[in-house]
Amino acid sequence: MKIAYLFFIPLFLELLAAIVATITYRKYSGSNEKYFLYFLWYTFLIEITGTLIGYAFEADNYWVYNGFIISSFLFYFYWYYSILKRKRFRQTIVIFTATFLLVATYSLIYEDWSAYHSYTFLTGASFVLVLTVFHFYKLLNSDEVLIVKHKLSFWISTALLLFYMGMIPLMFLTVYADLNDISYLIIILSMNLILYGCYIIGFLWTKKEYNRF
Amino acid sequence: MDEKGVQSFLIIFSVIAFLLALTVILLFAIFQKRKNKLLREQQDAENRYREEIIETQIEIKEETLRNISWELHDNIGQLLTLSKIQLQNADDKPERIQEASETIGQCLEELRSLSKLINPDTFSNLSLVEALQLEMERFNRMKYLKASLSFSEADFALDNKVELIIFRMLQEFFTNTIKHSKADVLKVNVDFKEGVLKIDASDNGIGFDTEVKNADSGIGLMNIKNRATLIGADAEILSKEGEGTHFKLTYKKNEL
Repeated sequence: MKIAYLFFIPLFLELLAAIVATITYRKYSGSNEKYFLYFLWYTFLIEITGTLIGYAFEADNYWVYNGFIISSFLFYFYWYYSILKRKRFRQTIVIFTATFLLVATYSLIYEDWSAYHSYTFLTGASFVLVLTVFHFYKLLNSDEVLIVKHKLSFWISTALLLFYMGMIPLMFLTVYADLNDISYLIIILSMNLILYGCYIIGFLWTKKEYNRF
Repeated sequence: MDEKGVQSFLIIFSVIAFLLALTVILLFAIFQKRKNKLLREQQDAENRYREEIIETQIEIKEETLRNISWELHDNIGQLLTLSKIQLQNADDKPERIQEASETIGQCLEELRSLSKLINPDTFSNLSLVEALQLEMERFNRMKYLKASLSFSEADFALDNKVELIIFRMLQEFFTNTIKHSKADVLKVNVDFKEGVLKIDASDNGIGFDTEVKNADSGIGLMNIKNRATLIGADAEILSKEGEGTHFKLTYKKNEL
Protein backbone atom coordinates (compact mmCIF):
# COMPACT_ATOMS: atom_id res chain seq x y z
CA MET A 1 0.00 0.00 0.00
CA LYS A 2 1.33 3.37 -0.93
CA ILE A 3 1.74 5.89 1.84
CA ALA A 4 -0.18 8.44 -0.15
CA TYR A 5 -3.34 6.43 0.35
CA LEU A 6 -3.18 7.21 4.05
CA PHE A 7 -4.00 10.79 3.14
CA PHE A 8 -7.44 9.64 2.13
CA ILE A 9 -8.30 8.47 5.62
CA PRO A 10 -9.00 11.96 7.02
CA LEU A 11 -11.03 12.64 3.91
CA PHE A 12 -13.03 9.52 4.54
CA LEU A 13 -13.53 10.45 8.24
CA GLU A 14 -14.76 13.89 7.26
CA LEU A 15 -17.17 12.45 4.75
CA LEU A 16 -18.44 9.95 7.31
CA ALA A 17 -18.96 12.66 9.96
CA ALA A 18 -20.75 14.89 7.44
CA ILE A 19 -23.03 12.04 6.36
CA VAL A 20 -23.89 11.10 9.95
CA ALA A 21 -24.53 14.79 10.67
CA THR A 22 -26.91 14.98 7.70
CA ILE A 23 -28.80 11.83 8.70
CA THR A 24 -29.25 12.93 12.31
CA TYR A 25 -29.94 16.57 11.40
CA ARG A 26 -33.49 16.71 12.75
CA LYS A 27 -32.17 15.90 16.26
CA TYR A 28 -30.29 19.17 16.53
CA SER A 29 -31.88 21.36 13.87
CA GLY A 30 -33.35 23.65 16.53
CA SER A 31 -30.03 24.49 18.16
CA ASN A 32 -26.95 26.49 17.30
CA GLU A 33 -25.16 23.23 16.57
CA LYS A 34 -26.99 23.12 13.25
CA TYR A 35 -24.21 25.20 11.70
CA PHE A 36 -21.89 22.21 12.19
CA LEU A 37 -23.69 20.38 9.42
CA TYR A 38 -22.65 23.04 6.92
CA PHE A 39 -19.24 23.31 8.52
CA LEU A 40 -18.53 19.59 8.16
CA TRP A 41 -19.48 19.59 4.49
CA TYR A 42 -17.41 22.71 4.01
CA THR A 43 -14.45 20.94 5.65
CA PHE A 44 -14.92 17.97 3.38
CA LEU A 45 -15.03 20.14 0.25
CA ILE A 46 -11.88 22.00 1.32
CA GLU A 47 -10.11 18.73 1.98
CA ILE A 48 -11.09 17.36 -1.43
CA THR A 49 -9.97 20.56 -3.14
CA GLY A 50 -6.66 20.48 -1.28
CA THR A 51 -6.07 16.83 -2.04
CA LEU A 52 -6.95 17.29 -5.71
CA ILE A 53 -4.67 20.27 -6.10
CA GLY A 54 -1.88 18.53 -4.22
CA TYR A 55 -1.99 15.08 -5.80
CA ALA A 56 -3.81 15.34 -9.07
CA PHE A 57 -2.26 18.57 -10.24
CA GLU A 58 0.81 18.39 -7.99
CA ALA A 59 0.48 22.08 -7.31
CA ASP A 60 0.98 24.03 -4.12
CA ASN A 61 -2.07 23.58 -1.89
CA TYR A 62 -1.00 25.30 1.33
CA TRP A 63 -3.06 28.39 0.62
CA VAL A 64 -6.22 26.29 0.67
CA TYR A 65 -5.44 25.01 4.13
CA ASN A 66 -4.32 28.40 5.43
CA GLY A 67 -7.60 29.86 4.28
CA PHE A 68 -9.39 26.97 5.95
CA ILE A 69 -7.55 27.50 9.25
CA ILE A 70 -8.71 31.11 9.40
CA SER A 71 -12.31 30.38 8.45
CA SER A 72 -12.62 27.37 10.76
CA PHE A 73 -11.38 29.25 13.83
CA LEU A 74 -13.68 32.15 13.05
CA PHE A 75 -16.50 29.65 12.81
CA TYR A 76 -15.63 28.13 16.20
CA PHE A 77 -15.49 31.59 17.78
CA TYR A 78 -18.85 32.45 16.29
CA TRP A 79 -20.37 29.20 17.53
CA TYR A 80 -19.07 29.66 21.05
CA TYR A 81 -20.29 33.24 20.98
CA SER A 82 -23.78 31.99 20.19
CA ILE A 83 -23.89 29.37 22.95
CA LEU A 84 -22.03 31.13 25.78
CA LYS A 85 -24.42 33.71 27.14
CA ARG A 86 -22.41 35.08 30.04
CA LYS A 87 -21.24 38.62 29.42
CA ARG A 88 -17.67 38.02 30.58
CA PHE A 89 -17.32 35.04 28.23
CA ARG A 90 -18.66 36.98 25.28
CA GLN A 91 -16.29 39.87 25.90
CA THR A 92 -13.41 37.39 25.96
CA ILE A 93 -14.55 35.90 22.66
CA VAL A 94 -14.66 39.32 21.05
CA ILE A 95 -11.12 40.04 22.24
CA PHE A 96 -9.97 36.60 21.06
CA THR A 97 -11.48 37.15 17.63
CA ALA A 98 -9.82 40.54 17.25
CA THR A 99 -6.43 39.19 18.34
CA PHE A 100 -6.78 36.20 16.08
CA LEU A 101 -7.64 38.39 13.08
CA LEU A 102 -4.57 40.53 13.77
CA VAL A 103 -2.30 37.48 13.90
CA ALA A 104 -3.91 36.01 10.78
CA THR A 105 -3.45 39.26 8.86
CA TYR A 106 0.15 39.46 9.97
CA SER A 107 0.74 35.89 8.79
CA LEU A 108 -0.96 36.54 5.45
CA ILE A 109 1.27 39.55 4.82
CA TYR A 110 4.63 38.45 6.19
CA GLU A 111 4.63 34.64 6.23
CA ASP A 112 5.41 32.39 3.32
CA TRP A 113 2.26 31.31 1.47
CA SER A 114 3.77 27.96 0.66
CA ALA A 115 3.90 26.82 4.30
CA TYR A 116 1.36 26.36 7.09
CA HIS A 117 0.72 29.55 8.99
CA SER A 118 1.69 28.16 12.35
CA TYR A 119 1.19 31.41 14.31
CA THR A 120 -2.37 31.68 13.08
CA PHE A 121 -2.94 28.06 13.93
CA LEU A 122 -1.37 28.24 17.41
CA THR A 123 -3.27 31.40 18.35
CA GLY A 124 -6.56 30.02 17.13
CA ALA A 125 -5.99 26.62 18.74
CA SER A 126 -5.11 28.08 22.16
CA PHE A 127 -8.15 30.34 22.06
CA VAL A 128 -10.42 27.43 21.16
CA LEU A 129 -8.99 25.48 24.09
CA VAL A 130 -9.90 28.31 26.43
CA LEU A 131 -13.40 28.47 24.94
CA THR A 132 -13.94 24.74 25.41
CA VAL A 133 -13.03 25.21 29.08
CA PHE A 134 -15.56 28.06 29.28
CA HIS A 135 -18.17 25.82 27.77
CA PHE A 136 -17.42 22.97 30.19
CA TYR A 137 -17.61 25.47 33.02
CA LYS A 138 -21.04 26.53 31.82
CA LEU A 139 -22.21 22.91 31.55
CA LEU A 140 -20.83 22.03 34.98
CA ASN A 141 -22.75 24.87 36.56
CA SER A 142 -26.12 23.92 35.17
CA ASP A 143 -28.47 20.99 35.58
CA GLU A 144 -27.42 19.86 32.14
CA VAL A 145 -24.47 18.09 33.69
CA LEU A 146 -26.88 15.21 34.34
CA ILE A 147 -27.62 14.63 30.68
CA VAL A 148 -24.38 15.84 29.25
CA LYS A 149 -23.70 12.78 27.16
CA HIS A 150 -26.86 13.45 25.19
CA LYS A 151 -25.84 17.00 24.43
CA LEU A 152 -24.21 17.53 21.06
CA SER A 153 -22.39 20.66 22.16
CA PHE A 154 -20.62 18.66 24.89
CA TRP A 155 -19.25 16.22 22.33
CA ILE A 156 -18.18 18.99 20.00
CA SER A 157 -16.31 20.70 22.81
CA THR A 158 -14.73 17.41 23.86
CA ALA A 159 -13.64 16.78 20.28
CA LEU A 160 -12.12 20.24 19.99
CA LEU A 161 -10.43 20.02 23.39
CA LEU A 162 -8.78 16.67 22.65
CA PHE A 163 -7.83 17.60 19.10
CA TYR A 164 -6.14 20.88 19.96
CA MET A 165 -4.73 19.48 23.20
CA GLY A 166 -2.83 17.12 20.89
CA MET A 167 -2.14 19.51 18.01
CA ILE A 168 -0.51 22.27 20.06
CA PRO A 169 2.27 20.09 21.57
CA LEU A 170 2.72 18.44 18.19
CA MET A 171 3.38 21.84 16.59
CA PHE A 172 5.90 22.73 19.29
CA LEU A 173 7.64 19.37 19.42
CA THR A 174 8.13 19.08 15.67
CA VAL A 175 10.28 22.20 15.84
CA TYR A 176 12.76 20.37 18.07
CA ALA A 177 12.47 16.80 16.86
CA ASP A 178 12.53 16.05 13.21
CA LEU A 179 9.60 13.87 12.28
CA ASN A 180 9.46 12.09 9.01
CA ASP A 181 6.32 12.14 6.95
CA ILE A 182 4.91 8.82 7.98
CA SER A 183 5.32 9.47 11.71
CA TYR A 184 3.67 12.85 11.34
CA LEU A 185 0.91 11.28 9.34
CA ILE A 186 0.23 8.59 11.94
CA ILE A 187 -0.14 11.17 14.68
CA ILE A 188 -2.35 13.42 12.55
CA LEU A 189 -4.47 10.42 11.64
CA SER A 190 -4.94 9.46 15.29
CA MET A 191 -5.98 13.00 16.11
CA ASN A 192 -8.44 13.08 13.24
CA LEU A 193 -9.84 9.80 14.42
CA ILE A 194 -10.43 11.27 17.87
CA LEU A 195 -11.90 14.51 16.49
CA TYR A 196 -14.35 12.95 14.06
CA GLY A 197 -14.97 10.01 16.39
CA CYS A 198 -16.23 12.41 19.05
CA TYR A 199 -18.36 14.26 16.48
CA ILE A 200 -19.91 11.03 15.26
CA ILE A 201 -20.60 9.77 18.81
CA GLY A 202 -22.18 13.15 19.55
CA PHE A 203 -24.44 13.05 16.49
CA LEU A 204 -25.50 9.49 17.25
CA TRP A 205 -26.06 9.87 20.99
CA THR A 206 -27.64 13.27 21.07
CA LYS A 207 -31.33 13.57 21.85
CA LYS A 208 -33.60 16.16 20.39
CA GLU A 209 -35.03 17.37 23.70
CA TYR A 210 -31.60 18.34 25.02
CA ASN A 211 -30.53 20.45 22.06
CA ARG A 212 -32.98 23.28 22.33
CA PHE A 213 -30.46 25.94 23.18
CA MET B 1 12.86 4.92 9.07
CA ASP B 2 16.16 5.46 10.89
CA GLU B 3 16.59 5.00 14.61
CA LYS B 4 16.54 8.69 15.43
CA GLY B 5 13.33 9.16 13.50
CA VAL B 6 11.67 6.30 15.36
CA GLN B 7 12.86 7.72 18.65
CA SER B 8 11.46 11.17 18.11
CA PHE B 9 8.22 9.70 16.82
CA LEU B 10 7.87 7.61 19.96
CA ILE B 11 8.62 10.56 22.20
CA ILE B 12 6.15 12.87 20.52
CA PHE B 13 3.51 10.20 20.22
CA SER B 14 3.74 9.26 23.88
CA VAL B 15 3.72 12.89 25.04
CA ILE B 16 0.57 13.56 23.07
CA ALA B 17 -1.04 10.28 24.10
CA PHE B 18 -0.27 11.06 27.73
CA LEU B 19 -1.73 14.55 27.46
CA LEU B 20 -4.88 13.28 25.82
CA ALA B 21 -5.34 10.48 28.35
CA LEU B 22 -4.89 12.97 31.17
CA THR B 23 -7.45 15.32 29.63
CA VAL B 24 -10.00 12.56 29.20
CA ILE B 25 -9.53 11.30 32.76
CA LEU B 26 -9.75 14.79 34.22
CA LEU B 27 -12.82 15.65 32.17
CA PHE B 28 -14.53 12.44 33.18
CA ALA B 29 -13.62 12.81 36.86
CA ILE B 30 -14.80 16.43 37.08
CA PHE B 31 -18.08 15.79 35.29
CA GLN B 32 -18.77 12.64 37.29
CA LYS B 33 -18.11 14.37 40.59
CA ARG B 34 -20.32 17.29 39.69
CA LYS B 35 -23.04 14.96 38.50
CA ASN B 36 -23.00 12.97 41.73
CA LYS B 37 -23.14 16.14 43.78
CA LEU B 38 -26.12 17.40 41.82
CA LEU B 39 -27.90 14.07 42.14
CA ARG B 40 -27.31 14.10 45.88
CA GLU B 41 -28.69 17.62 46.13
CA GLN B 42 -31.78 16.63 44.17
CA GLN B 43 -32.28 13.67 46.46
CA ASP B 44 -31.93 15.90 49.49
CA ALA B 45 -34.42 18.40 48.13
CA GLU B 46 -36.86 15.60 47.45
CA ASN B 47 -36.46 14.28 50.98
CA ARG B 48 -37.00 17.73 52.41
CA TYR B 49 -40.15 18.10 50.34
CA ARG B 50 -41.46 14.75 51.51
CA GLU B 51 -40.73 15.60 55.14
CA GLU B 52 -42.48 18.92 54.77
CA ILE B 53 -45.55 17.23 53.31
CA ILE B 54 -45.70 14.81 56.21
CA GLU B 55 -45.27 17.63 58.69
CA THR B 56 -48.02 19.60 56.97
CA GLN B 57 -50.34 16.64 57.12
CA ILE B 58 -49.65 16.22 60.83
CA GLU B 59 -50.25 19.90 61.46
CA ILE B 60 -53.56 19.83 59.62
CA LYS B 61 -54.62 16.78 61.66
CA GLU B 62 -53.63 18.52 64.90
CA GLU B 63 -55.57 21.59 63.86
CA THR B 64 -58.56 19.40 63.13
CA LEU B 65 -58.36 17.79 66.56
CA ARG B 66 -58.15 21.20 68.16
CA ASN B 67 -61.19 22.31 66.17
CA ILE B 68 -63.13 19.23 67.25
CA SER B 69 -62.24 19.91 70.83
CA TRP B 70 -63.47 23.49 70.50
CA GLU B 71 -66.66 22.48 68.74
CA LEU B 72 -67.40 19.81 71.31
CA HIS B 73 -66.82 22.21 74.13
CA ASP B 74 -68.24 25.45 72.78
CA ASN B 75 -71.00 24.25 70.53
CA ILE B 76 -72.25 20.77 71.22
CA GLY B 77 -71.41 20.90 74.90
CA GLN B 78 -73.34 24.13 75.29
CA LEU B 79 -76.35 22.76 73.45
CA LEU B 80 -76.40 19.62 75.58
CA THR B 81 -76.08 21.66 78.74
CA LEU B 82 -78.98 23.78 77.58
CA SER B 83 -81.15 20.76 76.88
CA LYS B 84 -80.23 19.30 80.25
CA ILE B 85 -81.41 22.45 82.00
CA GLN B 86 -84.57 22.48 79.91
CA LEU B 87 -85.30 18.87 80.88
CA GLN B 88 -84.58 19.56 84.56
CA ASN B 89 -87.19 22.27 84.45
CA ALA B 90 -89.64 20.11 82.55
CA ASP B 91 -91.34 18.74 85.67
CA ASP B 92 -93.63 21.72 86.12
CA LYS B 93 -93.68 22.88 82.50
CA PRO B 94 -94.13 20.02 80.01
CA GLU B 95 -93.72 22.34 77.00
CA ARG B 96 -90.02 22.48 77.97
CA ILE B 97 -89.70 18.88 76.78
CA GLN B 98 -90.54 20.04 73.29
CA GLU B 99 -87.89 22.79 73.56
CA ALA B 100 -85.33 20.32 74.86
CA SER B 101 -86.08 17.97 72.00
CA GLU B 102 -85.48 20.84 69.53
CA THR B 103 -82.20 21.69 71.20
CA ILE B 104 -81.11 18.07 71.01
CA GLY B 105 -82.12 18.01 67.34
CA GLN B 106 -79.97 21.05 66.73
CA CYS B 107 -77.18 19.38 68.62
CA LEU B 108 -77.49 16.28 66.42
CA GLU B 109 -77.31 18.49 63.36
CA GLU B 110 -74.08 20.04 64.60
CA LEU B 111 -72.70 16.63 65.44
CA ARG B 112 -73.49 15.39 61.96
CA SER B 113 -71.74 18.26 60.24
CA LEU B 114 -68.77 17.85 62.54
CA SER B 115 -68.45 14.16 61.81
CA LYS B 116 -68.72 14.87 58.12
CA LEU B 117 -65.95 17.43 58.42
CA ILE B 118 -63.52 15.18 60.19
CA ASN B 119 -64.07 12.05 58.17
CA PRO B 120 -60.67 11.42 56.53
CA ASP B 121 -62.32 10.06 53.38
CA THR B 122 -64.24 13.21 52.65
CA PHE B 123 -61.34 15.33 53.70
CA SER B 124 -58.81 13.80 51.33
CA ASN B 125 -61.25 13.96 48.43
CA LEU B 126 -61.93 17.64 48.85
CA SER B 127 -60.58 20.18 46.45
CA LEU B 128 -58.84 23.25 47.80
CA VAL B 129 -61.91 25.44 47.28
CA GLU B 130 -64.20 22.91 48.96
CA ALA B 131 -61.87 22.61 51.93
CA LEU B 132 -61.73 26.39 52.23
CA GLN B 133 -65.52 26.57 51.99
CA LEU B 134 -65.86 24.14 54.91
CA GLU B 135 -63.42 26.23 56.93
CA MET B 136 -65.45 29.36 56.23
CA GLU B 137 -68.68 27.60 57.20
CA ARG B 138 -67.07 26.50 60.41
CA PHE B 139 -65.92 30.01 61.26
CA ASN B 140 -69.42 31.31 60.64
CA ARG B 141 -71.04 28.53 62.59
CA MET B 142 -68.74 29.03 65.55
CA LYS B 143 -69.39 32.78 65.22
CA TYR B 144 -65.69 33.57 65.38
CA LEU B 145 -66.12 36.12 62.63
CA LYS B 146 -67.96 36.72 59.39
CA ALA B 147 -66.10 34.77 56.75
CA SER B 148 -66.76 34.72 53.04
CA LEU B 149 -65.20 32.97 50.09
CA SER B 150 -65.36 33.87 46.43
CA PHE B 151 -63.75 31.96 43.61
CA SER B 152 -63.55 31.97 39.85
CA GLU B 153 -63.23 28.24 39.40
CA ALA B 154 -63.95 25.48 41.86
CA ASP B 155 -61.71 22.75 40.61
CA PHE B 156 -58.35 23.49 39.04
CA ALA B 157 -56.73 20.12 39.72
CA LEU B 158 -53.42 21.08 41.23
CA ASP B 159 -51.11 18.47 42.60
CA ASN B 160 -52.61 17.10 45.83
CA LYS B 161 -49.49 17.86 47.81
CA VAL B 162 -49.37 21.42 46.55
CA GLU B 163 -53.03 21.94 47.47
CA LEU B 164 -52.30 20.51 50.91
CA ILE B 165 -49.49 22.96 51.51
CA ILE B 166 -51.47 25.93 50.21
CA PHE B 167 -54.37 24.95 52.43
CA ARG B 168 -52.10 24.72 55.45
CA MET B 169 -50.61 28.15 54.73
CA LEU B 170 -54.09 29.65 54.61
CA GLN B 171 -55.13 27.75 57.69
CA GLU B 172 -52.18 29.20 59.54
CA PHE B 173 -53.19 32.65 58.40
CA PHE B 174 -56.80 32.08 59.56
CA THR B 175 -55.64 30.84 62.94
CA ASN B 176 -53.58 33.98 63.38
CA THR B 177 -56.53 36.10 62.34
CA ILE B 178 -58.86 34.44 64.85
CA LYS B 179 -56.36 34.32 67.68
CA HIS B 180 -54.62 37.67 67.45
CA SER B 181 -56.22 40.11 65.05
CA LYS B 182 -59.59 40.72 66.73
CA ALA B 183 -61.06 40.94 63.25
CA ASP B 184 -64.74 40.38 62.60
CA VAL B 185 -64.60 40.02 58.83
CA LEU B 186 -62.50 37.62 56.81
CA LYS B 187 -62.56 37.63 53.03
CA VAL B 188 -60.93 35.06 50.80
CA ASN B 189 -60.77 35.27 47.05
CA VAL B 190 -59.50 32.40 44.91
CA ASP B 191 -58.75 33.23 41.33
CA PHE B 192 -57.51 30.72 38.78
CA LYS B 193 -56.74 32.01 35.32
CA GLU B 194 -54.51 30.61 32.57
CA GLY B 195 -52.63 28.29 34.86
CA VAL B 196 -51.98 30.92 37.52
CA LEU B 197 -53.59 30.56 40.92
CA LYS B 198 -54.02 33.74 42.93
CA ILE B 199 -55.33 33.63 46.45
CA ASP B 200 -56.11 36.75 48.32
CA ALA B 201 -57.10 36.62 51.98
CA SER B 202 -57.69 39.66 54.12
CA ASP B 203 -59.09 40.51 57.53
CA ASN B 204 -60.07 43.84 59.09
CA GLY B 205 -58.26 43.26 62.37
CA ILE B 206 -55.73 45.29 64.26
CA GLY B 207 -52.93 44.27 61.96
CA PHE B 208 -49.32 44.45 62.89
CA ASP B 209 -46.21 46.22 61.80
CA THR B 210 -44.44 43.92 59.32
CA GLU B 211 -41.15 45.59 60.15
CA VAL B 212 -41.26 44.79 63.85
CA LYS B 213 -42.04 41.14 64.27
CA ASN B 214 -42.55 39.56 67.60
CA ALA B 215 -41.24 36.05 68.05
CA ASP B 216 -44.63 34.43 67.64
CA SER B 217 -45.79 35.94 64.39
CA GLY B 218 -42.21 35.87 63.15
CA ILE B 219 -42.12 32.09 63.21
CA GLY B 220 -45.56 31.87 61.65
CA LEU B 221 -44.51 34.19 58.84
CA MET B 222 -41.29 32.28 58.29
CA ASN B 223 -43.25 29.06 58.11
CA ILE B 224 -45.56 30.46 55.47
CA LYS B 225 -42.66 31.83 53.44
CA ASN B 226 -40.71 28.58 53.64
CA ARG B 227 -43.67 26.57 52.50
CA ALA B 228 -44.27 28.94 49.61
CA THR B 229 -40.66 28.55 48.46
CA LEU B 230 -40.97 24.80 48.72
CA ILE B 231 -43.77 24.59 46.17
CA GLY B 232 -42.37 27.44 44.10
CA ALA B 233 -45.12 29.89 44.99
CA ASP B 234 -44.89 33.52 45.84
CA ALA B 235 -46.36 34.48 49.22
CA GLU B 236 -46.70 37.96 50.60
CA ILE B 237 -48.09 39.24 53.86
CA LEU B 238 -48.98 42.88 53.97
CA SER B 239 -50.09 44.55 57.15
CA LYS B 240 -50.11 47.84 58.94
CA GLU B 241 -51.17 48.55 62.45
CA GLY B 242 -54.89 49.26 62.52
CA GLU B 243 -55.39 48.42 58.85
CA GLY B 244 -55.89 44.68 58.90
CA THR B 245 -53.74 41.98 57.37
CA HIS B 246 -53.52 40.93 53.78
CA PHE B 247 -52.19 37.61 52.56
CA LYS B 248 -51.39 37.16 48.89
CA LEU B 249 -50.34 33.94 47.27
CA THR B 250 -49.44 33.41 43.63
CA TYR B 251 -48.77 29.96 42.30
CA LYS B 252 -48.06 29.05 38.72
CA LYS B 253 -49.23 25.62 37.78
CA ASN B 254 -46.51 23.95 35.79
CA GLU B 255 -47.84 22.15 32.79
CA LEU B 256 -46.10 18.84 32.36
